[in-house]
Amino acid sequence: MRKLIRLAVLVGLAIWAWRRFAGPSGPQQRAGVSYADGSSIVLEPGSAGFERLASIARAALRQ
Amino acid sequence: MDAAQALRELAELSSQIETAVVLDADGSVLASTHEDPARAAALASSTLELVGAAFELNAQPQEVMRVEVELEDAALFVLRDGGRTIAATTGSQPTSGLVVYDLRTCLQRITEPEQKKKRKTIRKVKEDTE
Repeated sequence: MRKLIRLAVLVGLAIWAWRRFAGPSGPQQRAGVSYADGSSIVLEPGSAGFERLASIARAALRQ
Repeated sequence: MDAAQALRELAELSSQIETAVVLDADGSVLASTHEDPARAAALASSTLELVGAAFELNAQPQEVMRVEVELEDAALFVLRDGGRTIAATTGSQPTSGLVVYDLRTCLQRITEPEQKKKRKTIRKVKEDTE
């Protein structure tokens, strides 16, 4: 039983350390579009599509 | 329900939505949380531009139903249903599923009475012809 608790604590610490040091830092940026036919696309920063949508959104959010 | 009333309820219901605008099928502003009409028109213009850009992203011409753009410190959501469009801005890292649900509910509240009216009109026409 003690070994099990120790293992659970170690796993918890490992997950926390992974998220803290190796996980994504800062707020995540992304864009998504859904269409009438049920299809959808997710655009990541750096892609031309994302930059196009982001520039329009930035202008809208500044107002 | 009146679009302005639906937006007021949305603003009360959602703690994440900061500003919102509802557009008619022709792109005109039906209601807005902005008191300044110029700011409402500016958000409406950006919304239409965003929908146009999203439309161009797809190789096959398909109607855009939803656009979400999440940036560092804020996000913009656009949802379309029944010919109407609703756009809303939020702060950073919004719960997008919840925001989309609230926006869809708002649009449906605006659309529902008209659909009921149409059904009544169809029923009346049927009764008159019988």
